[in-house]
Amino acid sequence: MTFSIIGRCARTGRLGLGITTFSLAVGGRCEGVKANVGICKTQAFPNRGNDPLGVTLLAAGYAPARVMAMLAANDPDHDWRQIAIMDREGNIAAHTGSNTRGWSGHATGSDCVAFGNGLVGPAVLDGLIAGFLDDPTAPLEFRLMRALEGGRDAGGQGTATQHKPERSAAIKVVDRLDYPDIDVRVDVHPTAVQELRRVLEEYKRYEVFYRERGRDPAHAIPQDVFAAQLEAAQR
Amino acid sequence: MTYTVLARCPRTGHVGIGIATYSICVGQYCDGLQSRVGATMTQAFVNQGNNGLALRLLAQGFAPARIIDELGLNDPYHDYRQIAVIDREGGVAAFTGPKTRGWAGHRIGDGCVAFGNVLAGPNVVEAIAAGYAADPDAPLERRLLRALESGRDAGGQRGAQGHLTERSAALRVFSDFDYADLDLRVDLHDHAVDELRRCFEEYEPYRAYYRERGRNPHDAVPQDVFVARLKASKAEARA
Repeated sequence: MTFSIIGRCARTGRLGLGITTFSLAVGGRCEGVKANVGICKTQAFPNRGNDPLGVTLLAAGYAPARVMAMLAANDPDHDWRQIAIMDREGNIAAHTGSNTRGWSGHATGSDCVAFGNGLVGPAVLDGLIAGFLDDPTAPLEFRLMRALEGGRDAGGQGTATQHKPERSAAIKVVDRLDYPDIDVRVDVHPTAVQELRRVLEEYKRYEVFYRERGRDPAHAIPQDVFAAQLEAAQR
Repeated sequence: MTYTVLARCPRTGHVGIGIATYSICVGQYCDGLQSRVGATMTQAFVNQGNNGLALRLLAQGFAPARIIDELGLNDPYHDYRQIAVIDREGGVAAFTGPKTRGWAGHRIGDGCVAFGNVLAGPNVVEAIAAGYAADPDAPLERRLLRALESGRDAGGQRGAQGHLTERSAALRVFSDFDYADLDLRVDLHDHAVDELRRCFEEYEPYRAYYRERGRNPHDAVPQDVFVARLKASKAEARA
């Protein structure tokens, strides 16, 4: 019971993952997002070794379809996994194992793949993709956020009679550097997608300040001064 | 304006970090841990390239003190950084640049470093180290969490305008794998250390369940069934 989207910004080449689920702290299980390499995300009954192995194989030059075949050959329980892989050029492979539970599936759109399990139905994938495609000029993190909101608004997780809330959520975006551009999380919350929106909006106000104080510390103002300036600007 | 404990458990060889700060989303910067390789963290005015580089140097066998020297030679703003490095044997080195702000310093313990900047005073890092040392038999994640709570209780961060609350916090532990054993974050909150404790206690009963349903999906119960059982056993414990 999870719905996710991986996407690539065609303008910048940035890659990212948006994910939300009933499970707690899902962002702590998203290590398969690697700058200049690609993304591998395994969910449903995840084989935690898949994502590090998948990005290592992508880095070695294997195509997503071949990486998927190698993950399958390496795992007797491949049928229980749901996996999406994207390389840095936007090539995609996706797999929804026949033993994943509830309504499960994946769908691809322009520069993205939406995938989920334990969902109310295929409309959730449509909602994810529609959200992602809503504004292709927006920064990738906002496109991923819109996608998650689109999936949530299309019903999210559960069945026709029983909805399951999003209890954790995360967005991760990488560009060219070893570390992510954007990495925001909500680990334990009753409405995690809403809370992730709040965290992302707040983080975006600080993003440049945090980056620049590290790169040019001699000119950095103290953060409490910066925070006060932000508040004053808002009033 | 951050306080941190970086440690290696001498019993298990697991490495971990506990961190709390006024800055938001601090967990995203904690990418300096690798199973059976070591742990490192750069904070204050962060050079985000440091953690990746230091880990690669650790993997090649460089000693922690040498790695800090090497980071210094690679960075014109080294004096603004605060850095800790622990190798896979528990060897430790730490550096607090003279240009970090407020009260800033570090205290090296047995396989651990307590360090911070813009703090209420040296008692904060002393308290973190003492909190970590309090129960050496406890799992590393509990020792790290207790260390953070001790730092908070000792006054935490203090800027020019007085006390600064913890707005984000994180707890990460690596054992033997390419992924974290435990990776919990609070990104935006008024009392992030309290919230991190809440998240930890909430998450802890799920840990084995999440691990096992991936390893042995054939026998996994649906999560809502697991949640119902968890609630029932909590109710029973209260009764």
